Amino acid sequence: MNIIEVRHLEKEYPSFHLQDVSFSIKPGRITGFIGRNGAGKTTTIKSILNLVHPDRGDILFFGIPFTSREAEIKKRIGYSTGTVSWYPRKKIRDIIGIVSRFYETWDNESYRNYLRLFKLDENKTPLELSEGMKVKLNLLIALSHRAEILILDEPTSGLDPFSRDELLGIFNELKEQGVAVFFSTHITSDLEKCADDIVYISNGHIISALPKKTFTEQFSQNGESLEDTILRMERSMNNA
Amino acid sequence: MRNILRKEMKLSASPLTYLFILFGLMFFLPGYPILCGAFFVTLGIFQGFQYAREANDIVFSSLLPISKKDVVTGKFLFVCFIEACSLILMLFSALIRMTFLSQSAVYRANALMNANLFAVGGAFLLFGLFNIIFLGGFFKTAYQIGRPFITHIIVSFLVIGVLETLHHVPGLESVNAFAFDFFGLQLILLLAGSAAFLIMTALSYKTACRNFERIDL
Repeated sequence: MNIIEVRHLEKEYPSFHLQDVSFSIKPGRITGFIGRNGAGKTTTIKSILNLVHPDRGDILFFGIPFTSREAEIKKRIGYSTGTVSWYPRKKIRDIIGIVSRFYETWDNESYRNYLRLFKLDENKTPLELSEGMKVKLNLLIALSHRAEILILDEPTSGLDPFSRDELLGIFNELKEQGVAVFFSTHITSDLEKCADDIVYISNGHIISALPKKTFTEQFSQNGESLEDTILRMERSMNNA
Repeated sequence: MRNILRKEMKLSASPLTYLFILFGLMFFLPGYPILCGAFFVTLGIFQGFQYAREANDIVFSSLLPISKKDVVTGKFLFVCFIEACSLILMLFSALIRMTFLSQSAVYRANALMNANLFAVGGAFLLFGLFNIIFLGGFFKTAYQIGRPFITHIIVSFLVIGVLETLHHVPGLESVNAFAFDFFGLQLILLLAGSAAFLIMTALSYKTACRNFERIDL
């Protein structure tokens, strides 16, 4: 069963139209959601999480419509964005102390392990963390309640190459543990490093949603890297 | 529900919100429009909303494993908790003034409202108006707090002006009763104020749940 199934999602703004977005996320796989800035990645992710209300379309988590059992489904997922920090002046210890009470599945041992792995200091506030550490804090929360899927909006944006590499390594470790990762990015090398599946969005349309291998077989020309392929496709769509 | 209230109290609230509860003790001030105390309590709540907005509190709460309706419930519960704390202080102050200080010359020679059960009813009314104007207004967008608060300021000071001077209208002197004079009327006015609070809060909550469900975050 697919972890997430997005069917014919549509959302119209005065200057932007998300049209007929359909794709699925499979368990234990890393799915990269690629598209240039303003392509519709964040709107899609927010629609998936019911933060934005689509005009049309269905969103199923674990085969269940999201809005019908919202609280129950949210316990099984984790969300992170690379650009927002929550309660910037509260200590991490205090934030965790409150958040953990919402999850029956909260695992203190995992929490301690990831705290060590991510080298996070509980006595710091989010304001004192670098962008990379903020992403790790969000991951820490998601992983400590044993989320089955992580939905990450541009987690690598603003990270230095070393932190990005480290984060992508963590995605691979999570995959080994059976956690699905769905992350948006506009950096094609992120996909080359760790994605199993690629969902490519351009100007509010899904261009393709395929396993990486199939994607390169179908779209890449001789000797072209994934980055070259996506750049060429993007240019040809802009010129059309 | 306890979890979301605990989150509101420990993460979303500003320390000023708690500190401003003490304005309930303004009921002890002689020669001062005591109902302004209720307004200052709402000012403390407003500060808390500003603080929470900077902390991305609404989106954070919406991502917690609760329904969007529970996000609204948490805010309403917290605001009512703050209001209840200050109402207890106001009632305590009014009862002291109605008993031990009922003959105090400084309170007797007061052109403005006396601290009695009617005054507490007035505070209930002001909190009810805050809940319907500010809280209800906030949940239309979940980010805009300036406009609903300005509307609340205008309405509050009009209501405070009317209530503080009502006893100067011929025939309405009994609303400014001292000690336990006109106790039946005083009690009815207190109950009317609390009923207005409950009705306005319930209406605001219902509308806020509906509006919050519709908006995009």
